Parts: sequence; structure tokens; C-alpha cells
Amino acid sequence: MIKIEHLYKSYDKKPVLKDVTLAVQRGSIMGLLGPNGAGKTTLISILTGVIRKDSGSITVNGMDLDHEIGAIQSRCSYVPQTLAFYPRLTARENLEYFGALRNLKGKKLKESMEFCIDIGSMQDFLDKRVDKFSGGMKRRLNMAIGLLNDPEILYLDEPTLGVDAQSRNYILKTIQKINCERKMTIIYTSHYMDEIEQVSDEIAIIDEGKIILHGPTQDILTRADALCGHRNLEELFLKLTNIRLRDDN
Amino acid sequence: MIKLLYILKKEFLLIVRDVHAVTILFVMPAVFILIMTLAMKDLFELHSTVVIDILTVNHDAGKRSVALLKAMEEHNTFRFHLIGKDTVTESVKEQMLSRDYKFALVIKKNFSAFVNKKGKGKDENPLELLVNPTVPVQTQLVLKSALDGELSKLRWDAFIGRIDKLLAFAGIDRKDLKADKLSPIDVQYVYKGGQSFKMPSAVQQSVPAWLVFSMFFIVIPISNTFISERDQGTFMRLKSMNVSSSYLILGKMIPYLLINAVQVIFMIAIGVYVVPLCGGTALTIGDSIAGLVLIAFAVSFSAISVALLIASIARTTEQATTIGAVLNIIFGALGGLMVPKFVMPEFMQNLANFSPMSWGLEGFLDIFLRNGGVSDVLPKSLSLLALGLVMLGMTLISLRRQREV
Repeated sequence: MIKIEHLYKSYDKKPVLKDVTLAVQRGSIMGLLGPNGAGKTTLISILTGVIRKDSGSITVNGMDLDHEIGAIQSRCSYVPQTLAFYPRLTARENLEYFGALRNLKGKKLKESMEFCIDIGSMQDFLDKRVDKFSGGMKRRLNMAIGLLNDPEILYLDEPTLGVDAQSRNYILKTIQKINCERKMTIIYTSHYMDEIEQVSDEIAIIDEGKIILHGPTQDILTRADALCGHRNLEELFLKLTNIRLRDDN
Repeated sequence: MIKLLYILKKEFLLIVRDVHAVTILFVMPAVFILIMTLAMKDLFELHSTVVIDILTVNHDAGKRSVALLKAMEEHNTFRFHLIGKDTVTESVKEQMLSRDYKFALVIKKNFSAFVNKKGKGKDENPLELLVNPTVPVQTQLVLKSALDGELSKLRWDAFIGRIDKLLAFAGIDRKDLKADKLSPIDVQYVYKGGQSFKMPSAVQQSVPAWLVFSMFFIVIPISNTFISERDQGTFMRLKSMNVSSSYLILGKMIPYLLINAVQVIFMIAIGVYVVPLCGGTALTIGDSIAGLVLIAFAVSFSAISVALLIASIARTTEQATTIGAVLNIIFGALGGLMVPKFVMPEFMQNLANFSPMSWGLEGFLDIFLRNGGVSDVLPKSLSLLALGLVMLGMTLISLRRQREV
């Protein structure tokens, strides 16, 4: 279980996260929604130890992030929204490299790679340079690299950004499959409301650095029905976060 | 260890598959070495094969002018191309320009009379030297001094001839008073390690110069991969995998140290094996392999550290490659890589000491030319290593600051 309490973070004295308190149940998929600049990526970056928080406390499966970051990081995996691998390497070379950095070697590395190749459906283009891949293939590889260490917690930052409907459907089905089969806790950010509705057990909406709504998906949809007249997450989201345009920052 | 092997493999594959990096790190310096060695062959070779061609018209009918030309040609530096006796000076000038001669010599009718101090024109200047204004003053002086010297010898010998009877009366052997044919000055070149070492050549200047230049050009592939990793989120991914900044730096440092080592071997091989095939002299690398390894490591360490600092503070690849390339060219020019330090005026030579590339170049020259060893390259190596450590410290601070935000 992930427990966040009174989390604060600011950049150049500009607050980005303000008193965020949130708990994510073990084995659940939590959809994290928010407009541009709401603080989603910052929150995930703090949870994965990429950047440091200003104050507040975070515990992951009972371990304090401040004191046991190494142990937490070895049990987690982060799939950034950018395509975080080496385009001049092949898919196999990328998987080997990131696997080795996860301290995998020999048979264990081979088995992990086979699992990830299967998950990413990459058998046919494994030895092809990644810069020759389609957008969907790249997204699948990006996610597959995140699964190399068989994490207990998987952070997915907009994993379907810029892919076609087929790849998007494949990625969503894969997320549900690994959650179901491996009891993996997944925190998932996206701008696509239908995706969040489809895969999440619980939803948190963040805006201007604050969690403004959090609960099981069905409860949230019921609330949408009450507020908007029908079970539509997007309408609820716009109602809660206001319709004004947000600048990326 | 396995982790490190995969990091090395990754960096090598990235380099090998980057055509631009391979061109900058290996092809560009190899081509520079060949071009500059062959182009500057004559400038550097002290036992020079340089020949100055001189268009010549000899109006003198006497033997003295023939003796002058013969004596001058014995220098093995001057070659006189005689044209018709009746050619007037204006025509000599025209031919000099049209046939691209730098010098023309007009031996006047009175030359023998001038030497013998007898006959018509004995007090008039006997030679006229026509010079293309593009010729360096030093070269003009070389020819003029040689002519002055040979003319003086001819006049002395003629004088001795005139007082022959007087000398015989005084009991002086005429042979003892004749001018020396050879110069009485012995020239010696001074090297560390005795006289057995070979003479410096263009290849011994070019190989270390372009080697140091190319080693510092490691900034291009380092910043390309470093900034791509940062922009593509790979660094974020690595940080989330508990890979520390120090490890990231080490992961860059070791592969590029090896790439620099391959560069050193490759450039030396070009100097030793390829340059002679193209007509130049082969590179001699001295006796101290330990000294060579030390200076190569020190240059490599400082070059990679500078590259990492530039890559860590630059916002874009374009910014990093521009800063890196401009700094390399400025420090290269300043450090005597493009123009040898010994042709620079003194204040520029002093200024060159501020360029780390000059420290590296001088270190390699200690090994290749001066037959130096570890103790000779140690001060330069320590300066380079100290610079590298400072740059590396600044890189770590920069990366940690980026992690703070």
C-alpha cells in the first residue's frame, strides 16, 4: 500500500503540490487524472525517487521513502511518458541494458526478457533498431522495459500517448492482465477519461497541486451521475477542474 | 561487473552506430593528420629537402658568375634556372610572374669585374635580386645571406690571387688564406635521451596535435547521448532505478576513456603506417610506453570531464555541441595544435600555456620528440587530472542540483 500524507513540493518557490494526502490499495489500479500542470508527473517523480519532496511523508508497503528509497525503488518501476530508451539500439539491446541495471543476469535476465518480449508482443522486431519502430511499438517497448524487474508497483505516466487505437487497446489489456495475474499495484496517469474508466479500480483527480477527488471508480461514476445527470467521467472532471485552459509548465 | 559490461556495450554501440560521432572522433583527425603532415612536411623537416627555385639571367661573360652559381647550388637549397643571356630585366620580371617564381636573379655584365676589382663596372653593384612580395622575409634573408656569403668568398679568393706574388715573397701559403668552402658552424639538435633519437618531423607534430584535438571532440558524442538521455526521460528512468549520479558519470567515463584509448592507438597507427605510404616520414613514438599511457589517460580524463560538464549544464544538444566545438577550436588554436607553438610570438606562446590542449600536446611531444618518460609528462598529466577533477566535481554538483528540483 502507498500512503502519502501532507506532501508539499515547490519549484522556485512556486508550489506544485500542496498538502497532498492519498492512499493507494495494494493490487489496485489507480487512475490519476488532472489537467496539464496539475502536478501528476511531479507526484509520480517523487514517489519513484526521481525528485525530492519538500515536506510530508510517503510510505510504500510500510517502508519510509526518505529512509528506504533503495529498497522501494527495487520493488517499483516507472514508465515515463517520454520514450525513455535508446533509439540507436535494438529492442533486445535495450532490454538487456535496462535488465542489467536492474541487477538481472544470466537465466534470470533471459526469463525476464522473455516475459517482457511476450508482454510487448515484440518477437518479430526484437533485433530491429528502435528508431525504425512505429509509435505503438515504441510505447510497448517503453512499458516492457518497466516490467523487467517484475515490480510490485508500476507507475505509468501516460502510457498510450500518441499511439493508434490498436496499440492503445493492446496496452490497456496488458495493464489489466499484469494487474490481474501478478497482483501488481499500478498508478496510471492519462488524459483519456475512457481509458481511466476502463482500467482503474480507483480514481484520484488532482488539480493545482491538490487532490480534489479520490475514490473507487464506481463511486466516482455514481457521483458523476448525481452531479451531471449521467455516468460520464469527463463531464465530472471538467465540472471539478473548471473549463479554463491550462498552460503546460 | 556485468552491469558495467552492459553499460560499456551500450555506449560502444551508440558510438559505432552514430556516423557523425565516428566521423568526428576517427575520420576527421585521421584525415587532418594525413593532410597536415604532408602539407607541412617541408616546414617541419630540419634536414630540409626544401629547394628555392630562382629564375636566373647571366649577362656576365666571365668565370666568376659561373663559380657563384656552382657554389650556391652546393648548398642543396637553391636551384638556378638560367634563361637567355639577352633577356632584359623587364622580361625577367614578366617571366618570373607568369612562371610563378618567387625569386629572379640578374647577374650583371660587370659581375666578374666586380669580383676581380678590375675592368669596367668594377665599382657597380653586380647582382639584382627580384623578389615576389609574398615571400616571407626570413626566406628572402636566407637567399640574400647565401649570395652575400658566396660573393664575399669569391672576392676574397680573387684578392688572394691578386697578391699571390706578395704572399710568396712573405712565405705564406696561398691555400691557407683561401675561403672555406663549407660553413665552419656545426649545428646540433638537442634532445632528451641523447643523440640517437630521430629528427622531429611534420608527422610528430601533426599526430599529437590532432590526436589531442580529436580526444577533446569527445564532447560531441557525450553531449549528444547525455542530453538525449535527459530529454527522452532515460535519466529519470535510471534515477527511478536507484542508479546514482556518480554511477551515471562512471558509466560515461569508462566507455569514453576506452574510446579515447582506441583513438590514441588509431592515430598513432596512422602516423606509423599510413603516413609513410603517402610520402611522409613515419611517426616515432619514443621509448616510454608508461609515459604515453599516463599522458593519454590524463588528456582523456580531462576531455571527458569537460564534455560531461558542458553536457550537464547545456539545455539542448545544439547548445552543447556549439559550446564544445567553439571551445575546442579556440583552445586548439591557442594551444599550438593548429599553428605550432614555435612559430608563435613569445606572448602567444605564454598565452598557449593556459590551454589544457597545450598541456596534452606538450606531453605527447615529450614522449614522441624529446624521448621523455613518466617524470617528464607527470607535471602536465597532473595539471590535466586536476582540471578533470574540478570539472567532474562541478558536473556532480550540477546533476545533484537538477535532482533537487
